[in-house]
Amino acid sequence: MRHLTGAFAGALVAGIVALAPIAAEAHGPTRQKVEITREINAPADKVWAAVSNFQDLSWVPGVAKVEGSGSEVGSKRTITLENGETLTETVDKLDAAKMMIMYRADADNVKFLPVTNYSSRLTVKANGSGSTVTWWGAFYRGYPNNDPPADLNDETALSAVTGLYNAGLDGLKKKLEGGS
Amino acid sequence: MHRRRTAAAVLAAVGLLGASVGAARADEAFVTNQQSDDVSVVDLDTATVVATIPVGGKPAGVVASADGARVYVTSPDAKAVTVIDAAARSVIGRIDVGGGPVGIVLSPDDRRLFVADWYTNQILAIDTATLAVNGRVPVGRAPAGMAVTPDGALLISCDRDDDRLSVIDTATLTVVGTIPVGTHPFAVTLSADGLTAYAANVMSDDVSVVDVAARREIARVPTGDTPYGVALAAGRGFVTDQHADTVTVFDLESRAVIATLDTPAFPEGIAAARDGRKVWVASWDEDVLFSIDTTTLEVVDEVPVGTSPRAFGAFIRPTE
Repeated sequence: MRHLTGAFAGALVAGIVALAPIAAEAHGPTRQKVEITREINAPADKVWAAVSNFQDLSWVPGVAKVEGSGSEVGSKRTITLENGETLTETVDKLDAAKMMIMYRADADNVKFLPVTNYSSRLTVKANGSGSTVTWWGAFYRGYPNNDPPADLNDETALSAVTGLYNAGLDGLKKKLEGGS
Repeated sequence: MHRRRTAAAVLAAVGLLGASVGAARADEAFVTNQQSDDVSVVDLDTATVVATIPVGGKPAGVVASADGARVYVTSPDAKAVTVIDAAARSVIGRIDVGGGPVGIVLSPDDRRLFVADWYTNQILAIDTATLAVNGRVPVGRAPAGMAVTPDGALLISCDRDDDRLSVIDTATLTVVGTIPVGTHPFAVTLSADGLTAYAANVMSDDVSVVDVAARREIARVPTGDTPYGVALAAGRGFVTDQHADTVTVFDLESRAVIATLDTPAFPEGIAAARDGRKVWVASWDEDVLFSIDTTTLEVVDEVPVGTSPRAFGAFIRPTE
């Protein structure tokens, strides 16, 4: 297993995903966590309005479209990336008083993001006249078994999510500070 | 201390005891910190970390022996079980088991160790005197948490991806029954009399109450989002709801939910103190071990430990 080529391993993983009857089958042994924070020079209610709109990801680079409706617990969205890969996510928890929204992926798509059992939350806190926004994610690596190929190991998962959150929060900052 | 030990380990233990003559130790939690690759030893009377033991291999599962002498830890990345001399706080052995060891449990007499292999769908039986693997039981897919009946006769395994429990005869190491439960059972805890099993179903957000003798589920208790572990104390069940950042409390008699407690984020491994006055819980997200008073239902202690604590198993060791 440890000498599989990347392409073959990818095909194998795709096959496993296709055969899986429901989401979240066995996953890697070590859950990973990424937490990225940005200071945004905009009032907290304005930042919260942007991040709690579950159907708007215009601030995340690489997103082609978002389909779905609602921003309440149970609301779903299907994100399509510019490369055509899709992921469906559902709101798990939403606390307007604490300005926190938590959501998770309904099923894994390692070509969308090389992770499995992905859940995420966005939190906004007032900080003087500005805001602190935190994007947090918990997930396992893309390869569910022992001896992962390099493109589906713990490091790849961590760097992909870190890259997504940094780019997204940069986009959010630009959108909110650049507008009004 | 009935187990054979090396002279060096005995001397080390004597030396430690000599430094604290007359002071009985409190019970201790051995918390597996998956990302910092170590185990935090927490004194439960003073709620402080008294030692940190490097283990490696992303430790997850843990079990303390009934006599308090040893703690065994699974390291799935190292494909190994680490043997710790609990009093000396030192690693005294490592068992290469292959696969993906996660769940771990001991027979009541501490003589046999059972390790669930998450990847190869089997449970390994290990002799704790020789540290040799001397049996294997094929079970369902992705076996995770386990429990052994107080008489040592039956081992119950959560076959997570098959949505069932397997019941294993420990004498013959054969599966003697399977019990359908909720979706993706991850951890199971037995009542003190061994008659009732409580399995946390991470995907159906509930706990299956199982009659062990009848080999069937008799009730379902709703929990918060993604229940991970169950502890029993003061006539109540305590369930860690990972994604909800809560602990669900239910009455063991009526099976009615009594309370849903806000806790530090991503609560995972949970174990009851021996006197039943507190349950202790690892918060994976906040890197603390916290306690809940089982009567007042308030969070009492919060002890900073290592990074990303899992504490999956019976992680409290008795010290007297």
